[in-house]
Amino acid sequence: STSSVHSSDKDKSAASKDSTPEGASNRQEDGAETPKQQLLDIIGNMKVEVSYRKKLQQLKASESKKQALNKLEGLGSEGSVPQGTAEDTQRYSKPLNPELVKAASAVASSLPRNKKQTESELLAQLRRHEETTDKQKKGGTINIRNVISEMIVKRQTPAQRSARISGRISLQLDEDGRRIRPERSSAQSIDSRSLKVGKRLNIFTKASTEPEHALKTVSPPTIWDLEFAKEVEAVTAQPPRNGFEEMIQWTKEGILWEYPIDNEVGMEDDAEFHEHIFLEKHLEGFPKEGPIRHFMELVICGLSKNPYLSVKQKVEHIEWFQKYFEEKKELLQEI
Amino acid sequence: MAAAALCWALRAARQVLPSPCPGQVRSYYVDWRMLRDVKRRKMAYEYADERLRINAIRKNSILPKELQEVADKEIAALPRDSCPVRIRNRCVITSRPRGVKRRWRLSRIVFRHFADHAQLSGVQRAMW
Repeated sequence: STSSVHSSDKDKSAASKDSTPEGASNRQEDGAETPKQQLLDIIGNMKVEVSYRKKLQQLKASESKKQALNKLEGLGSEGSVPQGTAEDTQRYSKPLNPELVKAASAVASSLPRNKKQTESELLAQLRRHEETTDKQKKGGTINIRNVISEMIVKRQTPAQRSARISGRISLQLDEDGRRIRPERSSAQSIDSRSLKVGKRLNIFTKASTEPEHALKTVSPPTIWDLEFAKEVEAVTAQPPRNGFEEMIQWTKEGILWEYPIDNEVGMEDDAEFHEHIFLEKHLEGFPKEGPIRHFMELVICGLSKNPYLSVKQKVEHIEWFQKYFEEKKELLQEI
Repeated sequence: MAAAALCWALRAARQVLPSPCPGQVRSYYVDWRMLRDVKRRKMAYEYADERLRINAIRKNSILPKELQEVADKEIAALPRDSCPVRIRNRCVITSRPRGVKRRWRLSRIVFRHFADHAQLSGVQRAMW
């Protein structure tokens, strides 16, 4: 029965709960309701929320804020004082719930220490609780709403919530000892909104140049404008405040690469792969048989495997050989 | 490719020239030998392609030998400073021809100096 009870914010009652099950098990033989059994029943009926403490704090904070505001504005200065007095009077005038009083006395009796003192303390706590509940009933809810509305609410789908809980609990081990994970739905479970909504950031793909909506200048900026801009930058440039600004500066200077790293920065090879590999069409100026052809085919084979040269350079290479062999034609004919 | 290697070598020699870094800015080469080395590197870069192609004809078992002999004579006729063999990896700071570590392009003395003053990133005194 104690497991079903949520923890309240009384340490003493928690201690008492630990002692009561033993007492209850001992006295179950009696059958008649002992004071501890009564206590258990009462506590079992009371269901105090876990986050009550936080709510109390919020309430108190909002109340103090409200009072401060009122004092500053000078509007409710008269109203705040009678409020305080009214609360004070209320504390002692309104009687507490008799059941709660019974429970408090039962708890105090179960504890080994000074019973009267504990009882009085518990009753004082109860009175404070009553006071806050009264405030809540009157108009305290609005304050909570104000507080909560300022806070950003992170929404979870119920499916996500259940998945999280199930994720925590499930540690089903296979025969081999591997963990079986419950099959989760695809990326849709991440957010109620879909992932493909919104403007693309174009981080990993080269952005297609969209038509610029901004008005373009009539004439390109003159050299004087550029120089002026550079001067202004040089004057207003502060030393970097943190590592990020330093990295930005380095990227502008060219010391640091741009991330994500583009392997083809500075290399603007517009040619396709077939232009690199199939170079036989450039061999038309050469004789079709003989050692020269053999040599040139080897040259082409080597060039096709070369990733460092551009197509232009390869073509120039072949053309140089063509020129060279044309100059040596008389020599070759002698052979 | 020979051209790429020579290009790197060229940039190595040029490195100490006016750069936007703080510290010592040298507007001259350290000595005449360094200057001559720089000239050799420039020439080697210019003639790299030709040398490669003529050498490809020379070191060949397919083409006739007469052609190769002609190619020999041609390559010998090229300016002397155009061959990459004449380049010496000197220290960039002191122009010392010996005791130069390739990775840093510094002579051993300068390397030690900078390393001890913690101006070489990731370089630490060995102790094991």
